[in-house]
Amino acid sequence: MARFVLSRALKAVLTVWIAITSTFFLLRLLPGDPTTLMVEGDMTPEMQAALLKTYGLDRPLWEQYVSYLRELLHGNLGISFRQIQPVADIIVDRLPWTLLLAGSAFVITIAVGIPIGVSAAVHRGRWLDRTLQALGIGGHALFVPSVAMLLLVFLGARLGWFPIGGAIDPDTRGAAAYLSLVHHLVLPVLSLVLVQLGPYALTLRTNMIEVLGEDYIRAAQARGLSARRRVWKHGLRNAILPALTLMGLQLGTLVGGAVLTETVFAYPGVGRLIYEAVGQQDYPVLQGAFIMLAVTVVIANALTDMFYAVLNPRIRL
Amino acid sequence: MSAPVLTEQAVPPVVPVATGRSWYGYLRQPSAALSVLVLVVMVVMAVFAPLIAAEPAGAGPDVLQSPSGAHWFGTDDLGQDIFAQVVWGTRTSLVIGLAASLIAIVLGTAIGLASAYFRPIDAVATVITDVMLALPTLPLMIMLAAVVNPSVWTLTLIIGFFAWPEVARLIRSQGLVVSAMPYIDGARVLGASGWRIVTREILPAVVSLVIVSVLLTASRAVISEAGLSFLGLGDPDAWSWGRILLNAQRSGVIAIAWWQTLFPSLAILLLVLAATVAGMRFNDTRDPRRNGG
Repeated sequence: MARFVLSRALKAVLTVWIAITSTFFLLRLLPGDPTTLMVEGDMTPEMQAALLKTYGLDRPLWEQYVSYLRELLHGNLGISFRQIQPVADIIVDRLPWTLLLAGSAFVITIAVGIPIGVSAAVHRGRWLDRTLQALGIGGHALFVPSVAMLLLVFLGARLGWFPIGGAIDPDTRGAAAYLSLVHHLVLPVLSLVLVQLGPYALTLRTNMIEVLGEDYIRAAQARGLSARRRVWKHGLRNAILPALTLMGLQLGTLVGGAVLTETVFAYPGVGRLIYEAVGQQDYPVLQGAFIMLAVTVVIANALTDMFYAVLNPRIRL
Repeated sequence: MSAPVLTEQAVPPVVPVATGRSWYGYLRQPSAALSVLVLVVMVVMAVFAPLIAAEPAGAGPDVLQSPSGAHWFGTDDLGQDIFAQVVWGTRTSLVIGLAASLIAIVLGTAIGLASAYFRPIDAVATVITDVMLALPTLPLMIMLAAVVNPSVWTLTLIIGFFAWPEVARLIRSQGLVVSAMPYIDGARVLGASGWRIVTREILPAVVSLVIVSVLLTASRAVISEAGLSFLGLGDPDAWSWGRILLNAQRSGVIAIAWWQTLFPSLAILLLVLAATVAGMRFNDTRDPRRNGG
């Protein structure tokens, strides 16, 4: 088990390192490299040279890379072009909101997806199963901003059931503040859950049908175990493992969806920050946001795999 | 008898490539026929866009009209016709979807096949594929698209470059099955080169999977393009469905002009759904388990 955790952690570190290194060089090699973009058009050559020197951009590329890595390890993601503030500070302010949004969508998708997927597998060919098959395919075709904007227009603006933007009403205190928080969270989370749920539950159904055909399920039936116990205790436990890995692999997509949802609902997370940074051409923020999201996804993915190992006796031993 | 001829004779057709009869069987399924029809209509719309609607430009007098006979999909806050925007947007979505998908397919198939047959390549390719699949692709594409000048071609390159890992994984897993088959050993014994085995023996066996991948990858590329355009990273000179949604979002009249959100959304849904279903049905048709060998 310890060996598994260690190798999984190493893999996570390697993934992050490759991501950071490749984006560093990719950004420098692209035609519109950030150093030239930072330099304003009306600057004299001396001012440009001074600016490049200040940012260390006049040194050889590999030296820049080494110092970039060293700074990253100290939590320094550079300085924002537009807001004269460290990128790390800006992102750390925003990250909790994205974690709240994506985390809630993750948990709700699993919590709602499991009973739907299991019921569909048990009652194959019935209405729930057929609906799920349609939704499972349709889910891949849903575009997150479409879902989010339609929810915003109809449930938010027209019916007025939910707030149309922001994360919390700043005038509320105590319990009312938490209520306001949840109230603001409903539509953004719903947008993500609607897109993810169908494909997730459909995969769980497929796994479940496979598991229910296994010998040990028939053996359990022969021993006289009730159908309920066979399905929910023996079957689900084995079907849920691959479904958990799948959800871990979907984390990158989930974060992408959160970026789009936050943009629609003016939700103050990293996604909205990315949207603002695109408009302001604030490249250090974009690079920093990508690195932070990548680190978050990789850590979450590693934790999912370790959770899997705890549940799966074949690895636990 | 020379070795290559013998090799050819030794090869049983592993997976039958779609013949005239199976095309007929494919299109006899209502869902497949309907999807293909939708795709054909979209292609016609993209090719003949100038004949269907004038390219939307400038401001018009009819501001924020709801859908009517004159403006089927209504108008936006500048008085531009949404139907015309959607028709012209079809061009961008299809061009980027197909071109990015082709890039991803070529890269993914090459890498997938190489790692299925050549062990040393496999180790490296698997690490790279895993890393790319583990990263949040959209923020990565945003970062690159923000640095380069946004145009249809740079978007195509960026989207295509980040879409190959899924293809590579799919082709590799199928390729591994094929390269473990006895006739591959046979070809090797007869002295066929690695290049020849991969291109002449393994590739034909996975070609139908490649066709499915084109459709599925294109549908993902369409979604990616819409996402980047929605975030303001699209080609400023080309209409795109994501850009219509961005305009709706920015106009501040999103609550009134629901049509500006609904119709481009339906266009994305229809195109992606049609491509996905067409690909899945094709996959079912070629699956020997489903049609009795």
